[in-house]
Amino acid sequence: MSAYEWLNERLDLDRLNKKFMRKAFPVHHSFFLGEITLFAFITLVLTGLFLTFNFEPSARIIKVAGRELPAAYASVLYIDSLPFGKVIRSVHHWSAHIMVAAAFLHLLRILLSGAYKKPREINWFLGLALLGVVVFTAFTGYSLPYDAFSVTATQIGYGIGASIPYIGEWIAQLIFGGEFPTLHSLPRLYSLHVLWLPLTLMALIGLHMLIMIKQKHTQPRYAKAVAPGKILGVPMMPMQVSVMALLFLLYLGVLFILGGSIIAHPIEAYGPPSTSTPAVKPDWYFLWIYGILQIIPNTWVIPLPGGAEINPEFIGGVLVPGILGLVAVILPFVDNRKTKMRYVELPSRHPMRTSVTVGILVFFLVATLAGWKQELGLSNATLWTMLITFPLLAWWVTYVIMRAIWGRGGYEDLEA
Amino acid sequence: MSEKTTRRAVIRASLGAGLGLAGLSALFVAGGLKPKKEVTPETEPPKKGDLFVVADGPNKGKVITVDLLPLGGPFVLAWPMDPKTKVVKNGERNNLTMLIRFNPDDYDEKTRRYTDQGVAAFSAICTHLGCTVSEWLADKKAFMCPCHKGIYDPRHGAQVIGGPPPRPLPMLPVKVEGGKVVADGGFLSPVGPVGTLGVKGGWV
Repeated sequence: MSAYEWLNERLDLDRLNKKFMRKAFPVHHSFFLGEITLFAFITLVLTGLFLTFNFEPSARIIKVAGRELPAAYASVLYIDSLPFGKVIRSVHHWSAHIMVAAAFLHLLRILLSGAYKKPREINWFLGLALLGVVVFTAFTGYSLPYDAFSVTATQIGYGIGASIPYIGEWIAQLIFGGEFPTLHSLPRLYSLHVLWLPLTLMALIGLHMLIMIKQKHTQPRYAKAVAPGKILGVPMMPMQVSVMALLFLLYLGVLFILGGSIIAHPIEAYGPPSTSTPAVKPDWYFLWIYGILQIIPNTWVIPLPGGAEINPEFIGGVLVPGILGLVAVILPFVDNRKTKMRYVELPSRHPMRTSVTVGILVFFLVATLAGWKQELGLSNATLWTMLITFPLLAWWVTYVIMRAIWGRGGYEDLEA
Repeated sequence: MSEKTTRRAVIRASLGAGLGLAGLSALFVAGGLKPKKEVTPETEPPKKGDLFVVADGPNKGKVITVDLLPLGGPFVLAWPMDPKTKVVKNGERNNLTMLIRFNPDDYDEKTRRYTDQGVAAFSAICTHLGCTVSEWLADKKAFMCPCHKGIYDPRHGAQVIGGPPPRPLPMLPVKVEGGKVVADGGFLSPVGPVGTLGVKGGWV
């Protein structure tokens, strides 16, 4: 008796296979973006497990080989000295970048194909929450090596959190274990980074995928012509699983080449925290906020009752990203449909949505450019003009071009 | 009232009371998340009579005298030190102080009041987002925070002359006694980014 038969007699695997493992996966290359996000997460968990075996979450100064160093910093040096230690730490670092990037591209795919509409609004909200938690998890990882760069970057994060009127200081001290940096900060950030946030991510990812299986993917439009009313795709077992396994192995391969050839965050180059601030620029996904923070004049202060105020840090670090998030949350309520959506919408047929998305992307790019204000020698006035006109121009030009080529658009939905 | 509804009502009421009590006691435990702040001799704020020691570089640990401060800048980063116990107060980042020397006539009148023999002291913690203000712009004779390029003018009470900081750097009045720079009081305004209610320190 084979092992399968033995198990099948007890667990009725045939039924599971018929009911669940034959789920049809519609085929489109952009549908892999969510999977790549998942692969990045799995890689992060696995490499992270290795790092926890040797990392010491403490900012206490200890003596190591005649040098006085924070214990966390020294333990990262120790990790780097292990066989493959540097590579695994680098894979962890680069995988975090790829997870943020893949999650954002996945969001863009959903946005441009209208897949946030009924019945998939819940998964759109879950996806937004996931992006937020992913970015926050990446941020809590910043502080852990405890070098001059990471301490300064975390300091800025603390300042932004504390700038929220009334409740900011309270929230920031709760997260950072007091006014960062204290000796109580690292244990708390470490616990959040390796325990609470990954558990939250796992729960949200599980729910995200469960709902996706229940509601089924949106399909590429050719499916309608080939097999109307049916889900057209490859079965999960064995085809989709094989493709996924292949993609995951490919992902690991690329990441290990990357991590092996480019060592991430060389802490000895930054050195342990000192009284001089290194010239820090945050990771690319925070650069647009960093840029906005630099061009908001210090006169933008709105006093609130009770001595609190709305200050530039709050506007740049919390309000602007918060408004963008809010727009994303209300999108499915504003742009929705009565019937359940089954097929993806073509970006070309939705000139307004597509062109507004292009405008928002240009906004991100110009705000990022403002992060090089000093190096480029651009004035606040120039950057503000660019930040307002370029996105509007990009939106308008895209819209006009799309209308000229594809007409009014929108009609495809009537028949979907 | 039937027997069924009564039983249900009792179960509901006890469930509600149980959950409520459990929630309340959980809140009490969650109070342990509130960070505690221990004040040790190393974390005490600077006070009148404190000396200053160089915080970094080749002169690290040296007591600061007037001739250690180059006329017209750059500044020297320093920690306050209790003169009796010789405890350097470097356990609290907000104690980091910048000392600088100009000709007394270079300061405006308001600033000069808190200087002695041209020596002035400012908090080194940026009021924007709390980075260490660690760069010296020789051409402007000004401090710059490298994080978001906030610029402060030491000769005018560290007023903000560029970038996003909301307030000038807090000043610390100094006296010169026997060549040594001595604190003549604590910082005149809250150090670093001002907290939620305009009072530094929030709930600790």
